[in-house]
Amino acid sequence: MRDHGSVRCVAAAVLLALVLGSAAVLGQGENSLTAPDVKSARREAAPRAADGHPDLSGYWKGTTDTTPVGNIGKDLEGFKLPLTAAGEAALQHNLTATIDPESLCIIGGIPRHNASGLPFEVLQGAKKVAFLYWYSYFRLVPIDPKRAHSEDPDPSFFGEEIGHWEGDTLVIDSIGFKDEKVWIDENANPHSDALHVVERWTRPDADHIHVETLIEDAKFYTRPITYSRTWVAGKPDEELHEYSCSENNVDKDHLGFGPGPIRPDGTRGYLNPAPLPPPLPKPAR
Amino acid sequence: MRLPIAIFAASVGLTAPSPLAAHHSFAAEFDGSKAMRLTGVLTKIEWTNPHSYFYLDVSEGGNIVKWTCEAGAPGALSRRGFKKGDLKLGDTLVVDGYLAKDGSHLIDARRVTLPDGRIVSGASAGDGGPGGAGQ
Repeated sequence: MRDHGSVRCVAAAVLLALVLGSAAVLGQGENSLTAPDVKSARREAAPRAADGHPDLSGYWKGTTDTTPVGNIGKDLEGFKLPLTAAGEAALQHNLTATIDPESLCIIGGIPRHNASGLPFEVLQGAKKVAFLYWYSYFRLVPIDPKRAHSEDPDPSFFGEEIGHWEGDTLVIDSIGFKDEKVWIDENANPHSDALHVVERWTRPDADHIHVETLIEDAKFYTRPITYSRTWVAGKPDEELHEYSCSENNVDKDHLGFGPGPIRPDGTRGYLNPAPLPPPLPKPAR
Repeated sequence: MRLPIAIFAASVGLTAPSPLAAHHSFAAEFDGSKAMRLTGVLTKIEWTNPHSYFYLDVSEGGNIVKWTCEAGAPGALSRRGFKKGDLKLGDTLVVDGYLAKDGSHLIDARRVTLPDGRIVSGASAGDGGPGGAGQ
């Protein structure tokens, strides 16, 4: 503990327990970015576009049912990813020698954006579907059952994405990913340029959107992994706003390598951070 | 311009880790073992992305040391109801937070006490740090 101004360490475990218990107070309100899913009981049919397909358009928020957020191994036992030796080496490199690309304002790509806790918007047309993300990034996916992947696509963060409908499911097949300045999730897990992602998007009812994701990367993972998630519709007046990531990125000069410690529950952060000094008493009026 | 930071009761203070994802992990930049309190005079405010910043002159051993205090993004803070004018240059603020791991004069401002005694959360939403829950 340093003696800057009045720097104090408080060993007030009781206070910490008290405040940790208040988690529901902050951040789960109507305007929070992540919402408890209170719409499950109201099952209105998903709207349909003019071409008869379900319309995936909307402002979608993660729910508190999705844990751990930002961990592509969410659905795996112990959140344990089946890394190859090369994958393990790549993970160690990410942890010890790379700064989170997203914190440097580099596009997170897919599947990372699907694991994010941040809301996103979908705008669906007959021939293209746009996914708009919190950091003012977007991906524009062609919907064309006749389109095939390129012979040698230029590597990109979202990959070469091609969509088609299978009944009421929008399937997006992506290859051609970058293999540098990429983390597959917030926990610094890796992917290589052999990544192949198949997203199967559905809108089970008006208030929910769902994805089943198949992630294949034979260089870094011994077997394909899956990632499933449901988002809930935001309020009608909720929408994305401008977010200029590199406007004032003071962090870039201070961030360390990797995400920091990973807790046993698969989230990022210190298990037992030192409590802050106790709040000051309110002045008498 | 809309301003950041959520006002909440002093008894709330901190919250558990959030399911959200932030611009960066708290633990990638700040030391969870180095909780600290600064008391200083507000000299500059930047309501910017990816974070808001405010700058304090802090008296340390007879010298004035300039500190940078990182807070949530403007959108996050405005969603919490913080009103324009809640901070004014020249105000004396009490900032509770965590020191940057690189040891620079940078802290993550998890809690800010305004001159009138109101306590506001400057935490970055969902960064995995104390008080990062929510917005």
